[in-house]
Amino acid sequence: MAVATQGASSGINGQNTRTLLRVSILFLIAAAAVASRLFSVIRFESIIHEFDPWFNFRATKYLVANGFYKFWDWFDDRTWHPLGRVTGGTLYPGLMVTSGVIYHALRALTVPVDIRNICVLLAPAFSGLTAYAAYLLTNEMTTSSSAGLLAAAFMGITPGYISRSVAGSYDNEAIAIFLLVFTFYLWIKALKLGSMLWGALCALFYGYMVASWGGYAFITCILPLHAFVLIGMGRFSNRLYVSYTTWYALGTLASMQIPFVGFLPVKTSEHMPALGIFGFVQLVGFLQYVRSSMSAKQFKTFVITVIVGAVGIGLAGLVGLTSLGYIAPWSGRFYSLWDTGYAKIHIPIIASVSEHQPTAWPAFFFDLNMLIWLFPAGVYLCFQDLRDEHVFVVVYALFGSYFAGVMVRLMLTLTPIVCVAAAMAASQILDTYLSAKKPNVEEVADAGSTDAKPVKTSGLRVASKPAVGIFTFVSKALVVGGMAVYLLLFVSHCTWVTSNAYSSPSVVLASRMPDGSQHIIDDYREAYQWLRQNTKEDAKIMSWWDYGYQIGGMADRPTLVDNNTWNNTHIATVGKAMSSSEEVSYPIMRQHEVDYVLVVFGGLLGYSGDDINKFLWMVRIAEGIWPEEVKERNFFTSRGEYRVDAEATDTMKNSLMYKMSYYNYHSLFPAGQTVDRVRGSRLPDQGPVLNTIEEAYTTENWIIRIYKVKDLDNVGRDLFSAASFDRGQKKKSSKKKGPRVLRVD
Amino acid sequence: MKPSTIATALLGLACSAFASSQQSTVKLPADFKPPQVFKNANLVHIISLEKNYVKEQVNVLIENTAAEPQEEYFLPFTADQLSRVGGFEVKDRKDTAAGPFTVDVVNYDSASSTQYYRIRLPAPLKSGGQQTLGITFYYLSAYRPLPASIPQEATQYLSYEFSPYAQSAYPTVKQKTEVKAASATIPDYTKVEGHGDVAEFPQKQGSKLTYGPFGEKAAGASLPASVRFEFNKPVTHISELERDIEVSHWGGNVAFEERYVLHHQGANLSSQFNRVKWAQSQYFNPASHALKEMRFPLQVGSVDTYFTDTIGNVSTSRFRSNKREALLELKPRYPIFGGWKYPFTIGWNSNAANFVRKTATGGFVFKAPFLEGPKQAEGVEYENINVRVLLPEGAENVKLLADVPESSIVETTVDVHKTYLDTIGRTAVTIKARNLVDEFKDRDLIIYYEVPSAMTLRKPLVIFASFLTVYAAAWAIGKVEVGFGQK
Repeated sequence: MAVATQGASSGINGQNTRTLLRVSILFLIAAAAVASRLFSVIRFESIIHEFDPWFNFRATKYLVANGFYKFWDWFDDRTWHPLGRVTGGTLYPGLMVTSGVIYHALRALTVPVDIRNICVLLAPAFSGLTAYAAYLLTNEMTTSSSAGLLAAAFMGITPGYISRSVAGSYDNEAIAIFLLVFTFYLWIKALKLGSMLWGALCALFYGYMVASWGGYAFITCILPLHAFVLIGMGRFSNRLYVSYTTWYALGTLASMQIPFVGFLPVKTSEHMPALGIFGFVQLVGFLQYVRSSMSAKQFKTFVITVIVGAVGIGLAGLVGLTSLGYIAPWSGRFYSLWDTGYAKIHIPIIASVSEHQPTAWPAFFFDLNMLIWLFPAGVYLCFQDLRDEHVFVVVYALFGSYFAGVMVRLMLTLTPIVCVAAAMAASQILDTYLSAKKPNVEEVADAGSTDAKPVKTSGLRVASKPAVGIFTFVSKALVVGGMAVYLLLFVSHCTWVTSNAYSSPSVVLASRMPDGSQHIIDDYREAYQWLRQNTKEDAKIMSWWDYGYQIGGMADRPTLVDNNTWNNTHIATVGKAMSSSEEVSYPIMRQHEVDYVLVVFGGLLGYSGDDINKFLWMVRIAEGIWPEEVKERNFFTSRGEYRVDAEATDTMKNSLMYKMSYYNYHSLFPAGQTVDRVRGSRLPDQGPVLNTIEEAYTTENWIIRIYKVKDLDNVGRDLFSAASFDRGQKKKSSKKKGPRVLRVD
Repeated sequence: MKPSTIATALLGLACSAFASSQQSTVKLPADFKPPQVFKNANLVHIISLEKNYVKEQVNVLIENTAAEPQEEYFLPFTADQLSRVGGFEVKDRKDTAAGPFTVDVVNYDSASSTQYYRIRLPAPLKSGGQQTLGITFYYLSAYRPLPASIPQEATQYLSYEFSPYAQSAYPTVKQKTEVKAASATIPDYTKVEGHGDVAEFPQKQGSKLTYGPFGEKAAGASLPASVRFEFNKPVTHISELERDIEVSHWGGNVAFEERYVLHHQGANLSSQFNRVKWAQSQYFNPASHALKEMRFPLQVGSVDTYFTDTIGNVSTSRFRSNKREALLELKPRYPIFGGWKYPFTIGWNSNAANFVRKTATGGFVFKAPFLEGPKQAEGVEYENINVRVLLPEGAENVKLLADVPESSIVETTVDVHKTYLDTIGRTAVTIKARNLVDEFKDRDLIIYYEVPSAMTLRKPLVIFASFLTVYAAAWAIGKVEVGFGQK
């Protein structure tokens, strides 16, 4: 593509050709971006992936069925039983509304598209737009015409972004990354032009971003930081004043329209930098004005008083309001951004999510491949002529890298700037080495002499530089060839990663038959469909919160806890029920009107993401609330091992989770050969005994096991004696008192 | 059959009115009683319990006892039976060429416990004349599992209640009732007092029970009886079938989609489902009352089959297609036991040439089975059937012939459905039917329609014009100067 745009010939004809080429290349990039996200649709089917997307899908269906206002006021009594959830006020509606608008638009054109297909294909469609936004953003950074196209191509296929936007990954990030990049583009545009119109557009897209993803706080913090750095560098200008003020005022108002955000922008610490810089910009603007009408000496004292006064009052106000409780201090999730160990100690529920773990270093290479080493080069190029927008790249790069290192999930926010910076570096190389023209000796000499003189023009140096280039064809070919090889490797790496790591729906598992054909393991849907069809409409299902959204979406049954995790105590209650013995769990389940309990068990198939492996988190979260009743230590053997076989501790063996996982499992195997294939341990021949619940359904590969909570006994016995009676065991004879015989030991 | 002959047959048909709902009921005064103008000279009643629905055949020799010629013969049903009876057909046993018998439901007093079907004879029967009627009908949801809940691996027994005296609005001189059970294992059946030289009815021969012959019985005579027999097969009941057929002339394709709501009306599980036992029993593959698999023989040439349910594709299906057959084998996500439910959707495409013919007069004739559905040894019954055929946009002059008992068709409508960038919408023919069984699988649905050639070109022109408008608008908007000029 660099070759295509290099054909520099002026004149209206060349201009048109280049525009046409550029448009068609952008379309091809968008097509490639969409196509590379379709692996899962082709390999499996058009299905919503993983966990959170199932909630978004369900909410979208609700929106489409009931209209916007009902959706806005949606109180969902089918989750968090018996508390319910004010769903309309606790979600980011941007995603659902976007799909709803697309759905109704297509309906208006009488194109009968299933809402599911819109949801599945939304993320790929928006990835095409993201590529375009990256193109626009990069074009603001450099004059090289190839950099934008390269950035678009990188953005389109880099796994760091694909990981969150494959077809079926119907999550907030699906549209949020496009909005993030586009908002940044508008911000740069506004800043460059000092235009209120662009600032307003920026605020508009910021509002859309706020409506779509909690990650909007990243923009809320990066833009003030950029402004602050610029002021600190002595680059305050009316352009900055206009664009920042416009963005902040309109953007904040826009963000407050979302019920879930509401007054947070003036009440929480995460939003305070933006507010502070807003005040600071006013102050600086005021000072600039005062300076123009004062003598230098007066001005100095004036500045000192004003600054000291303003900062002092501001800080005191912030501290005071925080301590009085008007401004919320940093939330726990925010603290865990600064101290990676924080969550593990204080909020196990955040730490229990794998995507909140600190990033492992190979992940950077895995997700960004060669971009990760082109990235610093691109940032370095920004320093070469450090205009306002380049400062933005530098600031964004620094913070993005830090956050990406702290949380795996934030790799996503780093990816756009990596693509932009890497594209700048790559295009620099290609522009230099791909030039077909051979420089002649005099020009070089000229260039040398001009270079010797100090040139003061800082802007547009690349453009004004005389055409000095590479002489020999060999070095050109070598470098360009090397670059081409890297680009090809990058493409193949991206394809490989996308196809192998990011395209599994995780609801459906694929395995290979001995003859190499694909075999689908569909236990999740088997169980959910069974629940949906064969239990009563309002049967409450208790499961660990991971499966809450899926049960809501696929089985359409009320759940106790789900992936929203807004109520830690409720989750801990479920954790306690799972990790306690039946005597303790049964009353808890009765109190919460639980009809069925669902556990995931991978022992037969060797499926490692099962509940026994997650069990310690349940224990930890329950221990956080009931440290007296649930103790993590009791689940480890005296040698500190977490075991499930005959050596397991009594607490472990008596816990409801253990019993439900291994109930009846031994009867599948010949005596003495019961094996748990996940933990590779041999289980005792005597399986656990259940008294208060009974097995209701187990899927074909035993991945999902559903238990029915028994009703109270008809005859008024307690369930333990009723169950032992059913098993044919005689009542303990100790109660029946015959004539006692003196026992001689 | 040549297309032209079909067309003429159809044109000549012009039988019942279309484009309006049509219901085969007759309104009669509330105090209606069938006039006692006939007697049943001889009656053989065959109750077949071999499938999971009941097929009853009443072969009756009727005799006109009135002075005038008569043409209306009434058959009584209880109100409960009336809601479950379907597929009502009448033939002349002696003379197959005897014209069509029209059958209607008599609509007089909905609170009455006795309701009637009216059979209109093709020609009035003269006084004292005799005619042999072969009346066939089916009862759906006819059985009661006994015991109502059984263990997973136990054998299922069904019980059926009937009367050894056939229902009749007229006195019956001589009659006999045969009950054919699904298996020879019949642990319980009602014994009645014999007649003539037989001391006690029924006589049991293998799986067949014979009650009668009985002597003269008055009109409306009935005797409660029940039979309980082994039926270790699923009792499949489809409460709702929506069958959509979309005919596309441009695509040369006919797309089928069928949405089923399937219930198992057999014995429930007495304890919860046990996977271990189920997995172990699968090695021996014993007969079970659980529904494990269904086989849909589709029309040869069907392609692109799919099998989905509310939460997506069901991967356990197989489609064998070759020159001789196109067999879709489905396995539900879970084995379906008594009281369980499984709604699902299947669909496929086929070449339009297999279904649509052009007639000499320029019209089109579409012919497809009214009902396809699974082919199961134990039979399948359908409670509500909704067949919708989407004809091309602008199709007009629609005539249709559905070769299923007219009394089963509840409603026929022709209206318009908009889809895929339609501007005026496609002609949609909807036929609602009730209480049919899989014995009507091979009956045809024939639709004649005409499409003016201007209509065929309508869509491409409309799309072309819309795009042109969009481009023109974009160009015009691009020409508008906004903002302050920088000159």
